[in-house]
Amino acid sequence: MNSQLQATQISKIWQRGMARRQFLKWGLGGVAAVTAVAAGSFALLRRSPRDEIAPPDWATGLSASEYHLFEHARAVLLPVEGTNLIDSSTVPVVQNVQQILDYLDAPTRKELGAGLSLFDNVVVFSHGCRFVDLEPGKARELFDRWGEGSVLQRTLTTVIKQLVYSGYWQEPATWPPTEFDGPVSEKWGLAYLGNAPLPQQPSLESGQEQA
Amino acid sequence: MAFVRVQRDGVPVTQAKDVALDPSLGKKFTLKTDVVVVGSGAAGSMVAYEMAKAGRDVLVLEAGRYHPSARFSEHLGDTMTKIYQDQVGQVNTTADIIFIQGACVGGSTVVGACVMEEPGDKVLDGWAEKYGLDGLSAENFRPYLDKVADELQIHTNEAHEINACAHKVIQGCEKMKFSWKPAQRNVKQCALTGHCLAGCPSDRKMSSLVTHLPWAAAYGARIFSDTEVIRVKTRDGRARGLEARVVDPDSGAHVADMQVDADMVVMAAGAIHTPLILQRSQVPDRSGQLGRNLAIQPFTQVLGKFKEPLYGFRGALVGVQVDEFIHSNGYTIYSGLAEPESLLAQGDMKAGKAHIDFMKDYKYYAGVNAFSKDLGNGYVQWEGDPWTGDKTIHFNPSREEFENMKASAALAARIFFSGGAEKVYLPTFQSLEANSVFELDEKMDKVDYGIKGLYTFRSNSFSPHGTCRMGADPYQSVVAPNGELHDTPGLFVADSSLIPESISAPIQWTVHALAKYVSDQINENASNYFIS
Repeated sequence: MNSQLQATQISKIWQRGMARRQFLKWGLGGVAAVTAVAAGSFALLRRSPRDEIAPPDWATGLSASEYHLFEHARAVLLPVEGTNLIDSSTVPVVQNVQQILDYLDAPTRKELGAGLSLFDNVVVFSHGCRFVDLEPGKARELFDRWGEGSVLQRTLTTVIKQLVYSGYWQEPATWPPTEFDGPVSEKWGLAYLGNAPLPQQPSLESGQEQA
Repeated sequence: MAFVRVQRDGVPVTQAKDVALDPSLGKKFTLKTDVVVVGSGAAGSMVAYEMAKAGRDVLVLEAGRYHPSARFSEHLGDTMTKIYQDQVGQVNTTADIIFIQGACVGGSTVVGACVMEEPGDKVLDGWAEKYGLDGLSAENFRPYLDKVADELQIHTNEAHEINACAHKVIQGCEKMKFSWKPAQRNVKQCALTGHCLAGCPSDRKMSSLVTHLPWAAAYGARIFSDTEVIRVKTRDGRARGLEARVVDPDSGAHVADMQVDADMVVMAAGAIHTPLILQRSQVPDRSGQLGRNLAIQPFTQVLGKFKEPLYGFRGALVGVQVDEFIHSNGYTIYSGLAEPESLLAQGDMKAGKAHIDFMKDYKYYAGVNAFSKDLGNGYVQWEGDPWTGDKTIHFNPSREEFENMKASAALAARIFFSGGAEKVYLPTFQSLEANSVFELDEKMDKVDYGIKGLYTFRSNSFSPHGTCRMGADPYQSVVAPNGELHDTPGLFVADSSLIPESISAPIQWTVHALAKYVSDQINENASNYFIS
């Protein structure tokens, strides 16, 4: 699926989830609270070894913490071990997520950035570490719990899941294991039929121009 | 004797890039014509063809881009970005119902699933009696429907056009003693690619892109794409043309302002945009019904998982219709399963293994679209000034409509279970699935009407209609029985806006026929309308 379309869908989920003002109030307020706490004694807890790892050069549209969040979400949300599905680490999932986010309008992108920061940091209170350091099982539990939680929690988890799943399934390389054929007309050599002939008019002599 | 040539493929369209490169047009230009048609879909293309064939100078203005068949990629996501209205982001004010519409030369006929269904004699006779529309009685309207069937090569699906997904629906119906029938479609030599919603690259779908538009062009009609009509111009109470702007579809850049001087304006922009343009034009509306009576035919997508692989995404997209309830309860169900990414929108969004398990079972799924009848109580409203304002679509289900949606989705689920499904995914915002028919009611009971039915069922609409109701009484309808606005001579409507009340059948066939009927009304009284 095209990134522009996915961005539209993400915006739509955002609208569905909450009124923007409401989100700014809850989301940014939450981030501010986390940041304030993090500046104090919890600052040590929110430190992550991943902070030392620089994102790849292509990740210019994501902050370092956003990159690590999506990279961890990719691994957590797409556990294909034991199936014939394509390993998500071989598919440019996070690059595709970045492309989708590039299409978001500036205010939505800013709000989403605040929401992602909240999602990553708020886990410190419940698990003693950030989302990016949660072991996969606990991270999945978090997704499922928030998926049934408050409006803010549901919206954030839905957006992250939608972004990661779309980033994966938009790649034609992921289709063959599902046996979805993708585009077939060219592969099958289908003849092109062109325009339909003009209906016959009794008073007119009609004809088809030949190519 | 005239010799009319239809070009082998494509449609001659003047696009924004052509306008930008034409120094003779400049940033502001005026075109003169007998008839200007707003919209190029089922209605606009038909009117353009009929009027051009009758010898009129015809200009067609389409807001969407021109996307020739050769460019269809069979990649639904890419196609949606380019030729679907608002990139499939056209939603109601509460953003929980998606209004799917084509936004390209050929309109929704290009991206539709080819499903064709007549409204039925009882419905037509009901309109004739209730709204004073004698021309639309079954007896009088039947010839229009028949002519459309010939022109669009409408046929009943043959055995090879009924895929495994549809066969599961048939099995379920047979067990439940429900009536079903092969769907009717406007396709010639269907190649069974299953990619109808992404446009037909080999031009087998009989969309307006390969029928009435090239035919209209053969008779001399001019077609502009990328041209948004701002408002209709009136002088002394009569429509005299319109104002439009040409916009580059890729950059959004404003290329030029267009004025059209015309003897007649025919609106064919669909049930959402036609009334919005008329509202922007501030045309008189004695009835107060302009933009109101919006019926949407909501549908939800129900998935059934079966024991054996079905490959339900292969073959003709729509195979069969469950018609048991269409005339009693207004429910109608069509088989159909779209591509993997579409499952994200309708299916399970759980985390991790649950999602992987859901997606890897794609070949075991069958899908249906479960339609229900609504009461036609929605409305569309233009907010703000004509140039910078925005459309709003107001529709939230009443409790009765909500129960209808619930009932049609539950029926679809029962059909799947009767057909052997081991699990059914319900079309709800909350993740709900039933593992047997015995769980179904309990799961369905979890879907509560709540506040205005918000965020209950994942609903879509492909067939909005009714927003410029046709009728004899100017105090209850917007458009007269001949297609002309009651209070604005020279201004006609020919699209789904005319349909006077909510109907259950898919509307494309009806819309083509209505446009043909309105064209006949105009041509039969041409001396009253045209100076030339």
